Amino acid sequence: MIVLRILGLLFLLLLVPAGMGMLFFPLFKKEHRDLQTALIAGYILMFALLEVIGIPVVLLAVYRGLTILTMILSPVLVAFASAGIFLTFHRVSKGMAVSLPYPIGKRKPAPAKWKVEQAVIWGIFFLLLGIQLYMAFTRASFDGDDAYYGAQAVIAQQVDTLYRVNPYTGRSAPLDVRHCLALFPIWEAMIGKLCGIHATILSHSILPLILIPLTYMVYEKIGRSIFRKKERLPMFMVLMALWQMFGNVSIYTTETFFLTRTWQGKSFAGNFVLPAVLWIFLELFKPVQRGEKRKQTGYWILLALLNLAGGASSSLAVLLSCLMSAVLSLIAAVWKRKPWILVKTALSCIPGGIYVLFYLLLTHGIIG
Amino acid sequence: MFGIFMESLVIFKLYTGLKLLMLLTAAALIYLLITEKDKRVRYFLVYAPLILIVLFLCPLSRKVFVAAGLDGETYYRILWLIPMGLITATGACRAFAKHMRIGLAVSMVLISLCGSLVYRSSYISKAENLYHIPDTVIKICDLIEPEEEDGRVSAVMPTELIHFVRQYSARINMPYGREMIASQWDYYNAVYEAMEGSEVVCMEDLIEAIRADYCQYVVFSPSKETDKDPETCGLSLVAVIDDYRIYEDPVTAREVESWQKYYEDEN
Repeated sequence: MIVLRILGLLFLLLLVPAGMGMLFFPLFKKEHRDLQTALIAGYILMFALLEVIGIPVVLLAVYRGLTILTMILSPVLVAFASAGIFLTFHRVSKGMAVSLPYPIGKRKPAPAKWKVEQAVIWGIFFLLLGIQLYMAFTRASFDGDDAYYGAQAVIAQQVDTLYRVNPYTGRSAPLDVRHCLALFPIWEAMIGKLCGIHATILSHSILPLILIPLTYMVYEKIGRSIFRKKERLPMFMVLMALWQMFGNVSIYTTETFFLTRTWQGKSFAGNFVLPAVLWIFLELFKPVQRGEKRKQTGYWILLALLNLAGGASSSLAVLLSCLMSAVLSLIAAVWKRKPWILVKTALSCIPGGIYVLFYLLLTHGIIG
Repeated sequence: MFGIFMESLVIFKLYTGLKLLMLLTAAALIYLLITEKDKRVRYFLVYAPLILIVLFLCPLSRKVFVAAGLDGETYYRILWLIPMGLITATGACRAFAKHMRIGLAVSMVLISLCGSLVYRSSYISKAENLYHIPDTVIKICDLIEPEEEDGRVSAVMPTELIHFVRQYSARINMPYGREMIASQWDYYNAVYEAMEGSEVVCMEDLIEAIRADYCQYVVFSPSKETDKDPETCGLSLVAVIDDYRIYEDPVTAREVESWQKYYEDEN
């Protein structure tokens, strides 16, 4: 039974997002056709689909909400993942270069040995990561907001209604319009339901083991984008890991949320969504190597999906990611003297804009 | 306007905790501003954060934020757009590019000394189980939870357990939850008043309140005193778990059972 649950978790939290992310491979540069990018892009796509499918379910299904959502969303996710894996196999056989493990990617010759110094610094990073994962699993972090979000996930699993029960008392309530578009707790409930795991166990003990490394994958991508000399990367990653551990200067910082409230949507917003926006802009405006074609379409699509996917974590995250996109694009437009950048950014904010429109219509009682 | 600016400044100070870590970020920012040659890094990790800080402190931004219907308490999240860790790490890597080993050691020491280790927070404790909620809560919930999957019970819980009950079971209702404990909300609840309004619980008031609210169970924390023995007031002691006393109100239990039987017969 436990083995099946673990396999279910590996399937839903790793294989499915990675497969979905592989759909982007033809649109990415060769260096980004790897497992980390697949997972990052896959999670972005997964949460975007969660919003597209989940919001109508939340608004329309009073009873059996989680069951309906699971029945519609899980086959869609599996279909996307299967398409991603199948198409990647097919494209690799036609010559597309990928940095994926065999048998999807080609067998590679053994990599050149790392310098001892690099290996030691990477060792320090993985030690720090290991400490964070160990502490995430063995330490309980109290947060009052869990009485809301954690309870909503448990209600979804045990009562099968979405945002229509007061999480504090258990009484029936009108649709919670302020939070009902942020489906992160519902996603946790769904994953837990599919794997036969209590939502609170999934949130507190299991998800940090996935979300913490996922965040570092984004930082690794940012580091690779910034530093031409890859020898700098391990030092960068060590400092990022240490910063996350010592950034608890107040209860408000993303670092505090990262390690004490990892399973909450707000933490995902601050520690995955916003860094991912920065990574995308760094890639969009990265100098192109001689002879290399500039590939931007995939990143713009990813940005558009990200601006919607952020809504799954927190309603404010959509505004933050769109604001960040706007500021970065304004700077880029002035720097490159290309106003079209603003137009493309505006287009990428449309999904987020539709989300915000829904939010305003709901909170002002016009719909719902 | 100046008042709003000062409020934003206070929020900024609270966010940084007035700790030296932010000075590291400031130092890295200044270093990158002076020396960074990669335009992407200059524009996105130096100019953008500076623009965002100005935006954050600008009174008009705060007005727009609140006018948009957003909770003013969450205004600090605008500061999440400033990647302080990234700026510091990038600055350190650039500054110590030629002396990586020393640079790494110095940077690690500086971050450790200037920051605050998250694991020393008073909110973090050793997990007692995979739920990361107290074992006591699980034992109490397992005792009072209804056997039927769609059954419900209502229980009054001590404030220190309130946050955890419904993270374990959605089949245990409570007459009040976290909303009564959080100081920013000023709600009234008769059961809460009876249970927590005074140091010594008046049993007469409590029983009146729980029967009006159809609460079958009352859980007293070890330190909670009552003016009379609850059993002499009609409650029956179900169990004592980790010094928490769990009482059932037979009157409410019978009434709730009769409804349940009525609805079952109807179906």
